[in-house]
Amino acid sequence: MPLKIAVLVKQVPDMNAVKVDKATRAPNLSGQQVASSYDLYAVEQALKLQEQHGGETVAIAVGPASVKEALNRALAMGIDRAILVETADPNAVDTLALAGVIAQQVGAFSPDIVLAGQTADDYESGQVGAQVAELLNLPLVSNIAALEVDGSTLRLKRDMEDGYQSVEVQTPAVLLSSTGLEEPRLPSLKGIMAAKKKTVDIVSASPEAGRVTWSAPLAPEKGSAGIIVQDVSAAEAAQRLVEWLQSEKLL
Amino acid sequence: MAGVLVVGEIGANGALRHVALEAVEAGKSVASAMGGGLTALVIGSNIAAEAAKMNIAGVDKILVVDDPRLASPSAEAATTAIVAAVKASGASVVLIPGTTAGRDSAPRAAARLNAGLAADCVAVAAENGALVATRTVLGGRAQTEIRMPGSSIQMATIRPGAFAKAEGAGSASTESLAVDFGTEDFRVVVTGMTSKGGGASNLDSAPVVVAGGRGLKEPANFALVEDLAAAFGGAVGATRAVVDAGWRDHHEQIGQTGRTVAPGLYIAVGVSGAVQHNVGMQGSGAIVAINRDPDAPIFKIAQFGIVGDLFDVLPALTQQVKAARG
Ligand SMILES: Cc1cc2nc3c(=O)[nH]c(=O)nc-3n(C[C@H](O)[C@H](O)[C@H](O)COP(=O)(O)OP(=O)(O)OC[C@H]3O[C@@H](n4cnc5c(N)ncnc54)[C@H](O)[C@@H]3O)c2cc1C
Ligand SMILES: Nc1ncnc2c1ncn2[C@@H]1O[C@H](COP(=O)(O)O)[C@@H](O)[C@H]1O
Repeated sequence: MPLKIAVLVKQVPDMNAVKVDKATRAPNLSGQQVASSYDLYAVEQALKLQEQHGGETVAIAVGPASVKEALNRALAMGIDRAILVETADPNAVDTLALAGVIAQQVGAFSPDIVLAGQTADDYESGQVGAQVAELLNLPLVSNIAALEVDGSTLRLKRDMEDGYQSVEVQTPAVLLSSTGLEEPRLPSLKGIMAAKKKTVDIVSASPEAGRVTWSAPLAPEKGSAGIIVQDVSAAEAAQRLVEWLQSEKLL
Repeated sequence: MAGVLVVGEIGANGALRHVALEAVEAGKSVASAMGGGLTALVIGSNIAAEAAKMNIAGVDKILVVDDPRLASPSAEAATTAIVAAVKASGASVVLIPGTTAGRDSAPRAAARLNAGLAADCVAVAAENGALVATRTVLGGRAQTEIRMPGSSIQMATIRPGAFAKAEGAGSASTESLAVDFGTEDFRVVVTGMTSKGGGASNLDSAPVVVAGGRGLKEPANFALVEDLAAAFGGAVGATRAVVDAGWRDHHEQIGQTGRTVAPGLYIAVGVSGAVQHNVGMQGSGAIVAINRDPDAPIFKIAQFGIVGDLFDVLPALTQQVKAARG
């Protein structure tokens, strides 16, 4: 049975390139922008399902026009088409407002499966996927590490604190990817060329702000400048550490 | 609306999770500052004895939703129970464990209540009668304070290990809460649970964790890490790189896709300190790093660092720790 699959893709700063300004303690988020890492696992899973069952895959991103880059990545990996929901800063509104905007697009497509990331790399709230599920009254299965589709039945393996949980659910459902899924493929040159010809529908939205506010993220004041022991023998390094542990009442 | 609702969680082994008591500790200060009392909610099947563990000083009332269909409650069923408990208790602040289950149901409940929600908080406080929740963002690099001025109900999930456990005998009353579940609450059916292998680990409760990374070069060398952990009476942790390589079991993995731990002392050996690893251990009391690369990011978050070859440092350290502990 062919499947209609929607994948949510957030564009985020590349976390490994984010540096904190020592003087202001403010992280610099204006560097290289990428698709959030869990979302790439979700894209990969969507493509695997399409290879097995056929159907249609759509990637959805909310943000300024520049998030088209993240959508292009998904298209180059093999997603059929994309929807860019243009808003000012998606991080300026709370997850529920953002989920409302996403639910509207997902609802209009009425997919069998909605795939989202477990959490976004930048603000790590891990709330958008669950709230999209709630707003569309769909069942939610998070932290998925494996997925099998049998008609309208989904059999999933979840990565939980206490072990791997197996669950079953009927489509339509919202699934949140974990890194236990298969590694995301790299776009091929052919994929990158093909992506240029794929459709990206642009719609606009203005999610409502105000329910939740937050202070500008800052690095904590203390920390970092720890004691460093270097260029001494292993025995002496060990001795200094033991003395420090004793002075800190850790030993 | 006033008061705090704290949600307890039962683990797969049928026991109340530690984080439930940590959430009570977080909720106590908010409840005393804001007034309205503290209600605890426990959801599960056949849980009277576990629910009674929430009877701790500071808890006024325990609501129990005990239903055979809630043996491993779906996000939807937990949401329905939480929303019912918010209504029954009249709470304006809701604190939920930041576990897999809690982070499924909290956002759903927030959506159903049209409420603000702060994720995975490391501190909570009351300020002018409103909740202020602190969370870490950007891979642990920064913190932000969340306020919910546009929401009559204010919610937060609580990071496991970030708060002390509430203690002291309580005098709470216990009530069973009748919840009107619908068929949509049972759409997700649990069909099994398998262990991640490696058996039980005391990582969650160990006072000292020694974690090894790819710097160990090969699985057999983890004996060095095990020896040091044993000298401290602690537990062994691992990075994802070595778990993915099959050197260690997944249940030992620390980080974003593994466990979050907060021991008094965390020793990272041959671990580079990638953000995805650090988020799982940054709440530790003290962090010590042993790495031969002076520029390894792990040194940025360590209170004590040794730049050196772990194959020399570890045997010397283990011996001296043993001597010091007698
Ligand atoms: C979505 C996502 C989720 C992830 N989740 C997690 C997670 O939960 N947990 C996790 O740990 N990682 C996670 N990762 C992976 C993470 O990004 C790093 O790749 C990983 O933590 C690196 O492991 P490592 O420190 O063991 O290896 P490396 O980064 O290879 O570091 C090895 C270190 O050992 C040092 N070393 C080498 N030889 C010696 C020696 N003889 N003496 C002393 N030091 C030596 C080196 O200088 C180096 O710093 C995740 C990644 C992604 C994309
Ligand atoms: N602006 C966005 N556009 C598209 N998808 C998003 C957006 N924000 C969050 N998501 C999806 O929701 C997941 C969880 O995000 P969060 O709740 O912000 O941690 C992400 O991994 C994405 O799949």
